[in-house]
Amino acid sequence: MSAAAPAPPTGESGLDPDRSHHSEHGDADGHGEHAHVHDPHSPHGHAHHFESWRQQFDAGKLGMWLFLAQEVLFFSGLFCLYAVYRSLHPEVWEYADRFLSVPHGAFNTAVLLFSSLTMAWGVRCAMLGQRIGLTGCIAATLFCAALFLGVKSFEYTEKAHLHILWAGATEEPVMGGTRYDTPLVDVTDQVAEAEASSLTFAERESAALEATDVTLGKISVGCAIVALVLMVGAGLCWKLKANGWMVGLAAGVLCAIGMLVGAEGSMLLAHEMHGDHAGGEHHDGEAHDGHVETAHEMLEAESDVEIPPDGIGQFFSIYYVMTGLHAVHILAGMVVLTWLMIRAYRGDFTPDYFGPVDFVGLYWHLVDLVWIYLFPLLYLIG
Amino acid sequence: MAVETPTDYAAGEAAPSPERAAVPAGPPGYAEDNYLNHTKGLMSWLVTLDHKRIGMMYLVGVMSAFLLGGIFALLVRAELWTPGETIVTAETYNRFFTLHGAIMVFLFIIPSVPAALGNFVLPVMLGAKDVAFPRMNLASFYLWCGGAIFFLITLFRGSLDTGWTFYVPYSTSTETAVVTALTGVFILGFSSIFTGLNFIVTVHTMRPPGMEWFKMPLFLWAIYATSIIQVLATPVLAVTLLLLAVERTTGIGVFDPAYGGDPVLFQHFFWFYSHPAVYIMILPGFGIISELISTFSRKHIFGYRFIAYSSIAIALFGFLVWGHHMFTSGMSTVAAFVFSLLTFSVSIPSAIKVFNWLATMYKGNIWLATPMCYALSFIFLFTIGGLTGLHLGALATDIHLHDSYFVVSHFHYVMVGGSLVAFLGGLFYWWPKMTGKMYNDFWGKISALIVFLAFNLTFFPQFILGTKGMPRRYYNYVPEFQFWHQVSTVGAFMLGGGLLVAAVVLVHSLLRGKKAPANPWGAATLEWQCSSPPPHNNFDHPPTVGDPYALNRVVYDPDTRSYRQIDEFSNGGTPQQTAKV
Repeated sequence: MSAAAPAPPTGESGLDPDRSHHSEHGDADGHGEHAHVHDPHSPHGHAHHFESWRQQFDAGKLGMWLFLAQEVLFFSGLFCLYAVYRSLHPEVWEYADRFLSVPHGAFNTAVLLFSSLTMAWGVRCAMLGQRIGLTGCIAATLFCAALFLGVKSFEYTEKAHLHILWAGATEEPVMGGTRYDTPLVDVTDQVAEAEASSLTFAERESAALEATDVTLGKISVGCAIVALVLMVGAGLCWKLKANGWMVGLAAGVLCAIGMLVGAEGSMLLAHEMHGDHAGGEHHDGEAHDGHVETAHEMLEAESDVEIPPDGIGQFFSIYYVMTGLHAVHILAGMVVLTWLMIRAYRGDFTPDYFGPVDFVGLYWHLVDLVWIYLFPLLYLIG
Repeated sequence: MAVETPTDYAAGEAAPSPERAAVPAGPPGYAEDNYLNHTKGLMSWLVTLDHKRIGMMYLVGVMSAFLLGGIFALLVRAELWTPGETIVTAETYNRFFTLHGAIMVFLFIIPSVPAALGNFVLPVMLGAKDVAFPRMNLASFYLWCGGAIFFLITLFRGSLDTGWTFYVPYSTSTETAVVTALTGVFILGFSSIFTGLNFIVTVHTMRPPGMEWFKMPLFLWAIYATSIIQVLATPVLAVTLLLLAVERTTGIGVFDPAYGGDPVLFQHFFWFYSHPAVYIMILPGFGIISELISTFSRKHIFGYRFIAYSSIAIALFGFLVWGHHMFTSGMSTVAAFVFSLLTFSVSIPSAIKVFNWLATMYKGNIWLATPMCYALSFIFLFTIGGLTGLHLGALATDIHLHDSYFVVSHFHYVMVGGSLVAFLGGLFYWWPKMTGKMYNDFWGKISALIVFLAFNLTFFPQFILGTKGMPRRYYNYVPEFQFWHQVSTVGAFMLGGGLLVAAVVLVHSLLRGKKAPANPWGAATLEWQCSSPPPHNNFDHPPTVGDPYALNRVVYDPDTRSYRQIDEFSNGGTPQQTAKV
């Protein structure tokens, strides 16, 4: 089923020193009778209730596809919400979309696509028995995942400082609705303050960016400290020859650095877009050239004349729920990838036994695929 | 494998013309070394990966939940003895019926047959050593426990009064512990998904040689169809409840009209799961009945393929009819018409099953053992439940009957008269296999009789109340309704008594029961080929895979007081394959 499954996980290939031919063609037939022969050096025998590697692999793969079907149905509820509310309030969608930064979203899309590549490459390395290649590919995937979350954390933080939040945090309940929780942000004060200060939205956006910079600065320091501590730990484990732990801590370092780079990179990108640090010629040039039409500039051009429609909060409710649940899936993927990286480095996976790599790969592609839909549906409406 | 000396169990008493066949080695009888005593100690149970032990733990769990839900049911009925306050206030009454519904649906009926009986029976019936993912199976059980714990926390944190359906906007504004209960249901959902996923993979990949799709017992077809629903419908409930929890805590405005949300959208989302979920509850029951009717009519099942396909058809149609819960919620005429039509279409595969069961019994040699009594009771009650469903699926009558006691009665005829009775039938059927003990058949039949009569006494009056206009979930009612309410309450307590008798029969068998032979009922499916209780790895001898309903190949053997398969060559039948285990 997977794009690259040339070598079925059967026994004989494990004893074959020259495995290059496995990558060329799928020699699935003829393996049936050898299914009971498996690599004696392999650390893992197939579980007792299975007859063979093949059966175990097939069971795992079918199980994974069913799990993915379940995931698709899980997200389908959200896409359904999206479709319903977009069809009910198309004007809200068209208006609210401008608050999402296309360059950031596009960067994240590229990062996830690249991570799918490294993951697929990793599966191939596992099939060919390339231990270091596999470990490296998983590490790269993990780094991309962290990078993605770093960018996402910038986007969330900036919106929080701009008070672009979900409906309940920004809107008064209507139709006799009552709240039992105190609002997260005291919106009335914020709005009144903003109106009284007679700042344009662009000015408030710049202020929010400054505040975001401060918040992310703190997060980055935290990430750096975590990375440093984990690095020391990994070094100690290296000395103690506790390789599994060492790789686990190294994975943590990668994640921390990825988050840091993602967040700081997004900050730089945002400043670049706003022209704060880019010098005068860029600031004037871009808008007139028209090739970089950022959300900010569109807003600047239109925010004074256009009256925002009601119910923007609902768009951001759906934005936060969809991207938030996607981010939760990325996080879960990072945990599994760390586990996989430890096992890969330990040499658990052989051309006979690489099921877990394949299955995690499938999961990762699905998480990637969900984002491929989220990006145009949320960022590219206008 | 030591064959146990003949027990005192008089299995032959009702056995139709047991003929002797000269067979060399009969199947084993009671197994001294079995899955129950293979390893010892509490930990050997808590961390077991054996599907049989997990099934037993599930059984204990769901029965405890059933007891709790049953107590709430009796409290509800007791409160309705008189109009106005009888034992509790209106607010407490709301909590009682909500907890009764939520506990029965999420903690009992959904896991009852698949997770408790199915876990035990499915791999053995299939001829496999275990389910495909034993660790996931154990995880599923602990997730169930986690969900149950959240429900218990709900009880002590202000309880729940939304009804088991959690409709907004009430669920976003009530002050009871909605989020705790939602967390519990969310976790239970994953438990259900894990079970379903495991079973689908097991059926696909763990079948031994010779076990073809159309040689699978119909119980496996039913469980397979159920598992499809569990895997595909439950995640929609999960995301719906997650959104509802977020809605309640932060106000995202997708369901709550106070922030521009649409409460009817919640109903659509909820029923997209919860209508298929009623098939999660009833389909495994169908599977059990198919086994019981054939075995106790001593006759090959009639229309095997039709029953198998109808299970799949119900699973698929079940996804397309959720809208019939919202005929009065505001829906376009066209949508209502389509949903009504599709609802009627589900009755076709259900009716196919009923007709096939009746055709199986026709000219059969009916053996009225306890499981068969429950099975006959099922056919009667389910038919009433199914036919009254058509009244509710018809657009015009539904306007009158919607949210009345008619609905309550209808779904209790299906869920209790159907699912619960089938569960009990299955439990009495597989009990000798699960525990290695025979129960007292006479008292078993008495329990079936009491349950049947008391059930009708409880719920038939509710059809009358419903058509007269008694709304469901109401605390108070007009004095004219009091007679029927009191009849119903008397019936409910009798039903509790009948279930108590059944429980006593089963528990008594554990303490005093005779040792069970391998095949006390003379069934032809694989689980009866292993000893009772099954050994740790299910089969000491490779099971012989053949037609699961070839009951003419099963003969009574007075030496072991058990039934056994005739040797493959002795009857000149088609050669059977021997499974490799």
